[in-house]
Amino acid sequence: MNGLIDEFYRNFINESRWKLLLSGLGVTLEITAFALLLGVVLGFFVAIVRSAHDKTGKLGILNRLCTLYTTVIRGTPVVVQLMLIYYGVFASVNISKVLVAVLAFGLNSGAYVSEIVRSGIMAIDEGQFEAGRSLGFSYAQTMWYIVMPQAFKNVLPALGNEFITLLKETSVSGYIAMEDLTKAGDIIRSRTFSPFMPLIAVAVIYLIMVGIFTRLLALMERRLRNSER
Amino acid sequence: MKLKNMAALLLSGVMALSFAACGSSKIAPSDVHSVEDLDGKTVGVQTGTTGDLYISDDETLPNVKVERFSTGFEAVTALKQGKLDAVVIDDQPAQAFIRENEGLSILETEYVQEDYAICFAKGNAIAADVNAALAELKADGTLDRIVAAYINDEGKTGESYVSPADADHSKGKLIMATNAEFPPYEYKDDSGNIIGIDADLSRAIGDKIGYEVTIEDMKFDAIISAVTTGKADFGMAGMTVTEERKQSVDFSDSYYTGKQVIIVRS
Repeated sequence: MNGLIDEFYRNFINESRWKLLLSGLGVTLEITAFALLLGVVLGFFVAIVRSAHDKTGKLGILNRLCTLYTTVIRGTPVVVQLMLIYYGVFASVNISKVLVAVLAFGLNSGAYVSEIVRSGIMAIDEGQFEAGRSLGFSYAQTMWYIVMPQAFKNVLPALGNEFITLLKETSVSGYIAMEDLTKAGDIIRSRTFSPFMPLIAVAVIYLIMVGIFTRLLALMERRLRNSER
Repeated sequence: MKLKNMAALLLSGVMALSFAACGSSKIAPSDVHSVEDLDGKTVGVQTGTTGDLYISDDETLPNVKVERFSTGFEAVTALKQGKLDAVVIDDQPAQAFIRENEGLSILETEYVQEDYAICFAKGNAIAADVNAALAELKADGTLDRIVAAYINDEGKTGESYVSPADADHSKGKLIMATNAEFPPYEYKDDSGNIIGIDADLSRAIGDKIGYEVTIEDMKFDAIISAVTTGKADFGMAGMTVTEERKQSVDFSDSYYTGKQVIIVRS
C-alpha cells in the first residue's frame, strides 16, 4: 500500500507532474473541439453534395471530388495524414501545431461524418421528398425543412460514435511533438519509469471525458425526440 | 454551372497552395551559437533522453521551449524544416544525423558532459586500486582499444577484450552489478553473454589488480543498493556521476565522457 502511495506521489505530485496531465487534457480538448466543428461542416457539405448527385444527377464534378476525398481519407491511417500534413504539406512553413492537428483530424473526421449523414439522408422515405416538391418547395427548401431535420435525428447516435472516436484518435498528436493527454502520460513515464500509473491515469481521464460526452448526446437525443409525442 | 466554376476555382486554389508549400524557400540558419542562446528558443529533444531531462530542468534557461519527439530523427526533420531552432541529442546519433543531412552542424560547445564512472560502497578500499589500474589502462591504450571496438563509424562491435592466459586471479572474485540493456556499454550478445565496454573494461581492471570479475545483471535502479548493501563489490553501468548519487556511493575516476550536443541549421 505504501509503495502505491509512494508511486502515486512520484508520478503525479512530485514536481507538479499533474499539471502536465492537465495541460495535456486542455490540448486534447482544444483539438477535438475544433476538429469536430471542421469535421461536421465538411461532412455535411460532402453528404449534401453526394446525396444531391444521387437524387438529381447534377453536380458531377463536385461529386467526383467529394468521392475522391472520402476514398483517400478513409483509405489512409490518421497518423499518416497527420505526419504528411505537418512534415509534408507545411514542410517549409512554421505553422501552429494546433492548426495542423485540427486540419488533420477535422479532414479525417469529415470523411466519416459525410458517410453517416448521407446514410441518414438516403434513409428518409422518397415520399417525404416528393411531398415537399409537390407543395412547391425548391430542392434546397425540401432538404432544409423536411429531409434534414428527420435525417439528423436518425444519425445522431452514429455521429456521437464518430465524435467519441475522434476524441480518442487525437492521442496520436504526440507524433508531431504536441503535448496532448497521451503524450503527457508518456513524458511522465519517461521521468518516473513507472509502467503502470501514468497510463492508468490517462485512460481514466479519457473514460471520464467520453462519459460526459455520452451524457450530453443522450440529453440531446431526448430533446430531439420531444417532437415525436 | 455556377457550382462547376466554384469547383474549378477551389481546385486551382488548392494547387496554388501546394505549389507554395513545395517551393521551399531557403530557411534561415538558427540564431544559436552558444548554450546561452537557447534561452527563449524552441528546442527539440527525444522524449526521456538525458538531453530531455537536462534541458527541461535547466535553471539557466528559464524561457526555453522544449518540444519532445518520439524519435531523434523526427526532431532533426523539424529542425531542417525551420520548426525548431536547435536539437539537443547524444553525441553519437548527432554525428550520424549531420553526416546524412546537409545544412546542419553541431555546435562546438557541447550542452552537457556526462562522466561515466564505477561506483563503490562508501569507504571501500579497493577503489584506490581500481583507480590505479584505470590510469594504467588509459596510459597503455587498452581503454581506447576497448572503446573503439564498440563505438566506431561502421557501428560494428569489434573483438572484445581477452584476458591474458597468465592473468593473476589470486585474490579471488569481485562481483560487478550492471544492467545489461545499455549498448554499447553493456548488453547481451546472441548467446546471452554480457558484453560491452563496461564488461570488457571491468575484466581488464580485474586482471590488473588480481581478481576474477563476475557480472550480475539487475535493474539499473537496483545497482546502487546492491553496492551499498555489499551484494556486489562495485557497480558499472554507464553510470553518470551526479551529486545525488555521490551521497550514497563513492565514484572512481571517470573512464568515459558522454556528451549531449546541440545541432543547429548552419
